[in-house]
Amino acid sequence: MVAFRNTDTSQRTTGLLLRCVLYSLLALGLIIVDKRYDHLGRIRRFLSVVAYPVQVAVASPFDGWNWFKDSVTTRDALRADKAKLEAELRVAQFRLQRYEALEAETQRLRALRDSTAGVTDRFVIGDVMDVDLDAFRERVLVDKGAGDGVYVGQAVLDSGGVFGQVARVGQLTSEVILVSDPAHAIPVQINRTGLRTIAVGTGDLSRLKLPYLPTSADVTVGDLLVTSGLGGGFPAGYPVGTIAEVKRDPSQSLADVDVRPAAALDRSRELMFVWLKPQAAEVLPQPAAPKPSAPKPPAPKPPAPKQAATNP
Amino acid sequence: MMHDNRIRRFPMLLSALVALALAVLPLPSVLEPLRPDFLVLVVFYWCIESPRAGGLGLAFVSGLALDLVHGVVLGQHALALTLMGAWATHLRLRIRVYSVLSQCLTIFLLLTGYQFVLFWVDGATGNPVTTFSRWLAPFIGALLWPPLVNALSMRGRT
Repeated sequence: MVAFRNTDTSQRTTGLLLRCVLYSLLALGLIIVDKRYDHLGRIRRFLSVVAYPVQVAVASPFDGWNWFKDSVTTRDALRADKAKLEAELRVAQFRLQRYEALEAETQRLRALRDSTAGVTDRFVIGDVMDVDLDAFRERVLVDKGAGDGVYVGQAVLDSGGVFGQVARVGQLTSEVILVSDPAHAIPVQINRTGLRTIAVGTGDLSRLKLPYLPTSADVTVGDLLVTSGLGGGFPAGYPVGTIAEVKRDPSQSLADVDVRPAAALDRSRELMFVWLKPQAAEVLPQPAAPKPSAPKPPAPKPPAPKQAATNP
Repeated sequence: MMHDNRIRRFPMLLSALVALALAVLPLPSVLEPLRPDFLVLVVFYWCIESPRAGGLGLAFVSGLALDLVHGVVLGQHALALTLMGAWATHLRLRIRVYSVLSQCLTIFLLLTGYQFVLFWVDGATGNPVTTFSRWLAPFIGALLWPPLVNALSMRGRT
């Protein structure tokens, strides 16, 4: 039995049509202004603070449950975790031994090529909030916002690889669009061959695709894809995924290539917001004394014109 | 009458807030496209039961709140909810006396219209979502309508 508690039996509501038209025009105006112009950015940033309590209220039971689960783990489980982490740390440290030397070498080589693309400067860790955004878009809400210096277009990584980039910034929170969103594309390069292309999201968390590779391209299952750093948004050399499947149809000019993302897109709780170094050449360490026979490396360009530009 | 309206506002706002929270409650990603539009149903209910207590204003503000928490272009849900809220208000006298089945069918129609406006704005602003699953939410919403009406009209009765 569906019964309304019907108290208002008036036949007419005054000006329903008028109010409907007014509100609709207002909404249409908002859509156009939000889409076409950037004026709403600041308003939006502060409106998102209004939405924050609702989001926190929804996320808090899940946070509480996680905290509870953490607090009642047994000693054995903690010991097992500790042993596992120590083993991982040993491996990581072993791999890190050569890192400093390699980093310096990379920067020297980059400086020779005048390439400044994609050197990471610093990063901040943010937590994914337990809140669902749009069901049909691959986005997550993270608890770092403009107040922490996060900006639109910033690269976001997790412990496995590239996670996505910042799509919208609020004062306290920001929305991160995942690499698997159909509207997301990222410049990549196949690590084995250096072949550059673009990886596009599919809407499926476990799959990206490379739609712009010719049938004859040298790509095989298992190849590692890394960011190429072209376009300037992402730091270079971070893993994006591995090739999962290559379908070559001789009658087509482009191959059909599927990629398994390297980041744990459905499981990561902690994300890294990365800031790129503005100019790699400026932080170049002093090169070691060159061998007498070797040609002298080109002297770094005097920064005079730049200073003139920055100090009017 | 003034006094009457003031009494009704509190349950209205409370139910809208709860529905907004349900709209962002994390679900497993398999179930996510099936999530019914709770807030839309609640707005329809208030439009039909007491249009003069809030009605379209509630619809517009709820739509803006949905835009914010979903992170889409500002005004999208507001437009859809305003249009369909006005339609529900227009049909309210008929809906109140409909049988359960007819009510569900009407609500299904309204929810589909709501999804269609969202779909249209998505396309017009350049990021269309063409998956079929977005048309499943109206089914579930319509099935949820009778229990929701009963729950909301039970308030305050002992």
